[in-house]
Amino acid sequence: MAEASTGVSGGRLRFILSEMKPRGRWLTPFNVISIPVIIVGLVILWFRFTQGLGSVTNLSQAFPWGFWIGFDVVTGVAFAGGAYVITFVVYVMKEEKYRPIVRVTVLNGFLAYLFYAGALVLDLGRPWHIVNPIIGNSFGYNSVLFLVAWHFLLYMIAEAIEFSPAVAEWLGARKARRLLHAMTLAAVIFGITLSMLHQSGLGALFLLAKAKIHPLWYTEFIPILFFVSSIFAGLSMIIFEGTISEKVLKEYLGDKAGGHDNLVFGLAKGAAIAMFVYYFFKLLVFLHEGHWSELDTPWGWWFLVEVLGLVLLPCILYAFGARHRSLGIIKVAAVLTLIGIVVNRLNISVIAFNWQAPVHYIPSWQEIVVTLMIIFLEIWVFRWVVTRMPVYPGTNNRPAPAIDSD
Amino acid sequence: METYTYVNIFETKGLEYLLLICFLVLFIFFVRYLNAADKPS
Amino acid sequence: MDRRNFLKTAGVACAAATGARSARAQEHDTDPEEFVGVLVDTTRCIGCRSCEIGCALAHNLPVPDVQDDGALEAVRTTSETSWTVVNRFETDSGEVFVKKQCMHCWQPACTAACLTNAMAKTARGPVTWDGDKCMGCRFCMVSCPFDIPKFEYDEWNPRIQKCNLCNERLERGEKPACVASCPTDALMFGTKRELMEIARTRIYAHPERYVHQIYGEFEAGGTGWLYLSAVPFEQIGFRTDLGVTPYPEYTRDFLYAVPVVFFGMPALLYGLNLLAARTEAVRGAPNGAEHVPSPENPSTSE
Ligand code: SF4
Ligand code: SF4
Repeated sequence: MAEASTGVSGGRLRFILSEMKPRGRWLTPFNVISIPVIIVGLVILWFRFTQGLGSVTNLSQAFPWGFWIGFDVVTGVAFAGGAYVITFVVYVMKEEKYRPIVRVTVLNGFLAYLFYAGALVLDLGRPWHIVNPIIGNSFGYNSVLFLVAWHFLLYMIAEAIEFSPAVAEWLGARKARRLLHAMTLAAVIFGITLSMLHQSGLGALFLLAKAKIHPLWYTEFIPILFFVSSIFAGLSMIIFEGTISEKVLKEYLGDKAGGHDNLVFGLAKGAAIAMFVYYFFKLLVFLHEGHWSELDTPWGWWFLVEVLGLVLLPCILYAFGARHRSLGIIKVAAVLTLIGIVVNRLNISVIAFNWQAPVHYIPSWQEIVVTLMIIFLEIWVFRWVVTRMPVYPGTNNRPAPAIDSD
Repeated sequence: METYTYVNIFETKGLEYLLLICFLVLFIFFVRYLNAADKPS
Repeated sequence: MDRRNFLKTAGVACAAATGARSARAQEHDTDPEEFVGVLVDTTRCIGCRSCEIGCALAHNLPVPDVQDDGALEAVRTTSETSWTVVNRFETDSGEVFVKKQCMHCWQPACTAACLTNAMAKTARGPVTWDGDKCMGCRFCMVSCPFDIPKFEYDEWNPRIQKCNLCNERLERGEKPACVASCPTDALMFGTKRELMEIARTRIYAHPERYVHQIYGEFEAGGTGWLYLSAVPFEQIGFRTDLGVTPYPEYTRDFLYAVPVVFFGMPALLYGLNLLAARTEAVRGAPNGAEHVPSPENPSTSE
């Protein structure tokens, strides 16, 4: 993105400004729903920053972390896991088959971090001190959260580099593009390592909450479980998101946003294997902890719903769908998996957290509206980018201005 | 109080190794099932 | 906590656990930096709540009305406006009053959680909070096994509120305000070594009066506050399932793994990349370079 500001000759600036203008129809159903939600969300945020978190959230002394952390940050980051999986497959393993979806996946990952991990700022009581662990006047090295915060930051930079060739192409900055392109492999390798660590790090946060998380969910293996589940969470998100954009983006891109049916079978296979392994991890942890007596309680039933209904079942569906080449079944599996990830992440961070508390936390409507606002904003930016930059194969959708100032 | 009595943290290891063996066997079948689709029938 | 203190703590814990009075333990007796704490003898507490008043006065918090016994009806927790509370429990052996506040853990979960070092264990033992550093993430609240840090949800500039063992008074050489205002000696201030000796002596001298456990000796790795009781601790609002592992230990393995992964993974990934390139070349792919031209591929369209 740096090129946009440094190499600016008048022509490029004018080009960027012209690109800011919205395209397409205005009164789409999505706009009609999202615009009011965003406006209400902004009003809620105004209250949140002037009157404190208590004025809009149901957080309490017993539930310091709620929906914003449990869903936006912890779940959102798991969903963004697809970016590191796909860059691994394409750039490291050189599996060219998946190259057509690299850019859109990296873009999705980058925006997810920007918005969902960025939502962390809304939840901080004293957000102006967020620079403290970064500029180094108070490094809390001993904290897992310190690590996660740094990794978010570094990973966003790595993903920005991975995506930057598309920006350079959009701006017609050839030399910059070559330079950025040369950095891709390094950024990818760095990004995958970071991802491994912060996907598991998000789980490691809850290691310290041993006294509070229900024994069926607390285990010293939470970090590994989080990492493995982020693989199939990411793959399922790619499948799910591909299905949606195929339908929705037709208006802008014709058929180019879709047409990767063949890839989907490969992704489904990968997800099936990851879920198979994850399921056995869960079994192992359960055997090791040996909380058999907990199974026949409401918490135990809920646990079984998560593990059997939202891990084992979609795993079998993925395998069945991949073997019998059935897109329909794979889509069902993807949706079930995503629900499973939401349930799992919320269980650990909110639902089975402080499970003995007499009054349990339930998110307020304001918390949900703000979450929707963040999702909609992300989709707005995503839509803006894919309709302008060469994200999908074959959509170099405008001629670059005939200047090359760098 | 765990400071005054014996706690065996490896009680379930035997079971865990059994699970491991099951996993490896099932994994082979699972992968074979998945890959069967690739072969020309 | 630095290494020196850790070793010292370990030494204290061992010495205390075995009751041994080794020469090594002796030499710490004069060490000015030994951690301090408070011993609460619940059999001596009369529930007058003078400590609550003393604490509120010392820290500019709203002063509770202790004439109103209604406050004792329900079990209370500490809150953002009261760093300490006294609760009443009906037990097999009558009414018991228990003071509650931050335990000033030896290896606190809250300081291990804090990413800005706002929560910090001072060299003397108090665990304190620094508003210039805190970013309000509330991870300390999530991790504290005793549910102590409290957050001001209704402030635009919220603070974390919890007992600081009157760190400012300790620096002036005074006792904590609650200890100073206790009329019955239910609270006793000192180093943990001294307090452990006193506590044990009381149990030895009156074995029928106390349960033979000192809460805080080992709990969550050992705490600065110690409790004696006539009834099992579960009955007077204590969690006895916390284990004896210091909380930071639960994340230690993960934090150690981080540099290890960083040493190994990039090299491994780069190696895989080279291997993949070779495989491709052997297969006779167009070229083994990072980047295969194809009409499908926009990134090669320049
Ligand atoms: S009781 Fe909680 S707040 Fe106090 S030192 Fe221990 S972990 Fe920290
Ligand atoms: S809320 Fe403040 S004191 Fe607590 S962990 Fe976060 S930064 Fe540290």
